[in-house]
Amino acid sequence: MGKARLSTRLIRYRWLLVLLLPGLAYFVVFKYAPMYGVTIAFQDYLPFLGFDGSPWVGFKHFETLFSSPDFPRVLGNTLILALLNAVFVFPAPIVVALMLNELRVSILKRAIQSAIYIPYFLSWTIVAALTYLLFALDTGPITVLMNDLFGERFDFLADPDWFRPLVILQTLWKEVGWGTIIYLAALAGVDSNLYEAARIDGASRWKQMWHVTLPGIRSTIIVMAILQAGNLLDSKFEQIYLLTNSLNRSVAEVFDTYVYFLGITQGAYSYSTAVGLFKAVVGVALIYGVNWLARRFGHSGLF
Amino acid sequence: MALPLALVSCGSDETPADPADLGTLTLMIPLLSGDAAAPAVDSDMHKAVEALTGKKLQITWVPNSNYGDRMNVTLASDDLPEVMVVQGKLPAFVQSAEAGAFWNLTGKLDAYPNLKTENKQIELNSSINGQVYGVYRRRDPMRAAVIVRKDWLAKLGLKMPQTVDDLYNVAKAFTENDPDGNGKKDTYGLIVPKWPGVYATASPYDVIETWYGAPNGWGERNGKLVPGFDTPEFLEANRFVKKMVTEGLINPDFATLDSAKWDQQFFTGKGGIIVDVSSRAGVLTRLFKEKDAATYANFVDLTGNLTGPSGKKNSYPTVGFNGFLSISKQSVPTEAELKDVLTVLDKLSSKEGQILLNNGFEGKNFTVQDGYALGKDATVPAIKTITNDVMSFAQLGTASNGYVAYVSLPAGQFERQQYEQRVKFHKADEASAIHNPAQAIVSKTQVAKGAQLDQIIADARIKFLAGQINEAVLKAEIQRWYTQGGQDIVNEMNEQYAKIKK
Repeated sequence: MGKARLSTRLIRYRWLLVLLLPGLAYFVVFKYAPMYGVTIAFQDYLPFLGFDGSPWVGFKHFETLFSSPDFPRVLGNTLILALLNAVFVFPAPIVVALMLNELRVSILKRAIQSAIYIPYFLSWTIVAALTYLLFALDTGPITVLMNDLFGERFDFLADPDWFRPLVILQTLWKEVGWGTIIYLAALAGVDSNLYEAARIDGASRWKQMWHVTLPGIRSTIIVMAILQAGNLLDSKFEQIYLLTNSLNRSVAEVFDTYVYFLGITQGAYSYSTAVGLFKAVVGVALIYGVNWLARRFGHSGLF
Repeated sequence: MALPLALVSCGSDETPADPADLGTLTLMIPLLSGDAAAPAVDSDMHKAVEALTGKKLQITWVPNSNYGDRMNVTLASDDLPEVMVVQGKLPAFVQSAEAGAFWNLTGKLDAYPNLKTENKQIELNSSINGQVYGVYRRRDPMRAAVIVRKDWLAKLGLKMPQTVDDLYNVAKAFTENDPDGNGKKDTYGLIVPKWPGVYATASPYDVIETWYGAPNGWGERNGKLVPGFDTPEFLEANRFVKKMVTEGLINPDFATLDSAKWDQQFFTGKGGIIVDVSSRAGVLTRLFKEKDAATYANFVDLTGNLTGPSGKKNSYPTVGFNGFLSISKQSVPTEAELKDVLTVLDKLSSKEGQILLNNGFEGKNFTVQDGYALGKDATVPAIKTITNDVMSFAQLGTASNGYVAYVSLPAGQFERQQYEQRVKFHKADEASAIHNPAQAIVSKTQVAKGAQLDQIIADARIKFLAGQINEAVLKAEIQRWYTQGGQDIVNEMNEQYAKIKK
């Protein structure tokens, strides 16, 4: 590619390039420049001494992390939650979107859509408060109902066995409605001629869904899966933090709360940055991994 | 695409600090009042404080909620204010102080009449390994109290508890003898909420352990410092609490009860005893007063620390301070300038200074009645501004020489009686206070891992009380504390302790 051609192209698309600038500036200022801070993962960082003055310690913090007795537990908790999220939370909006798509009364469809969006706009603090109200020992309406139904005394908030189901329930309640938006948009884009053709061939509703609708939104599902893979080790900090107590901490502590606890409350900046960096590296690896898998199975990946 | 990176970033400002200009003093102070604005530079309070100190003040007010973050950023920058409110021995502060960012004031304060401490123990508590890096901001050295439903006591013909056995008996009666008279067994004795802190953070458990003779955080046993949870008294106290849990004398959701609902449980008559700071009694009294101003005096009674099973009283004190004012070495480079700054702080803690910072202007926003301060009508905008500004400037008050300003006049006759009762038993309890001999000591491992390790203890304690683990596992968890780094803390603590004691 010759120099002249590049400059012609630059000139030809100059206004498009100008439009690109704000977005580029955003990423440089807020996403790339702060990455310089990653260096403190390899230092014994002291705010007073600054980035330049703090002593370098190589991989000390990573060694501490991987040899720490906390590491297997925190990693395990994070992975189990991630897995549960992948199995229960990821498909939920797809299922709901398909169900909404089958509704023929549009006013009902829209009413349900609006109703299930609302929880998305509540903060986790409010969701946690609601959870505490509903599941309180001996007094929460759901606890009372369950106690009566099963004749046992449920302690949802303190029992470690109930921690993960509660987290998944909260996430489903709060985020499924919002998650359906992108799939509903994809569903609207499926060519209606295909349905007509399927009907002429005698396909039932179920078969139409299976052979027309799902293939129609498959690429959307794959893109969403790749995007989510990068966040696999991310737990929702506020959600977990607010639901944690002394009795369920053994299953509740995940990387995000661990980093908060060490970094913010104990001032172990370098160590918690090392943990965060580890998480990010795993995230990048997962994105590439899932992308590779998607291409491997003959779908177009994200890149 | 945005990568999920948890990064700590901060730009360090490269502008060099101004050479200390003795006419102006720069300060950084947390702004506590949520709804009020920071005091204006031309406000009466700002001008009065400038007049008192003879300095022009340049104050950076930082909202309390992100004061800690802001402090870290400020420490990282090259532009430290001359005087900074430090809210406690936070790791970043300790590391900076030891690296020489702040003046070591050990032995320097006694030369100033209003900075000379009234209580050497508290000054030691506020120090870092015996080195004083700031003028501490005094708080009441004793606050622990037992708050009991007075009407329930009266109904069941019981007296205020004085010993831990009394506490058990009253809690038992409150649980089993239907103190609210509704014919149902729907009450319990002691109310304990989910405690946000870890071990040795003035939780009801910590207080009861101290009553049982366990150390307050750390204690000296056979000349060595040991963590309080590795003592027989700790186990004995928790067996006692566990017995209360098992018998239903404590709310069963003590591990999860929202601490914001603590008062409600007492007010609505679900439980009848609270072990906490005595000021909670005032909050509870207000709740009853809002409900019925005619009878509100019949519901809340309180007393100080209880006598333990050995018959000896051990009281749970506070650390006696809430942060300190530290002076930057970089912005105040010479001894002469340091003297100048200390003279200003000395003036602020004089009687005149304390009244200005804590009460305001007599006649303008408050009047004195029986030695109490009575606030003037705060709906008048001018008075409201002063009152808000006083609340902000009170953060600058140290009173390490003793509090000599006025206390606000309690709202009613009963509140006043209650307040005087509190002052009386706090004073009496000070004699039996069990101080934490390690309060001054900052060990490296403690800073790095302490909170994480103490979580092991706090969690194990709750699990033991809830019946999730037995005593053998509790002891194993205490051993785990040692093996995961606690032993290093013990060694470092003892090393420093030996140095301080000399």
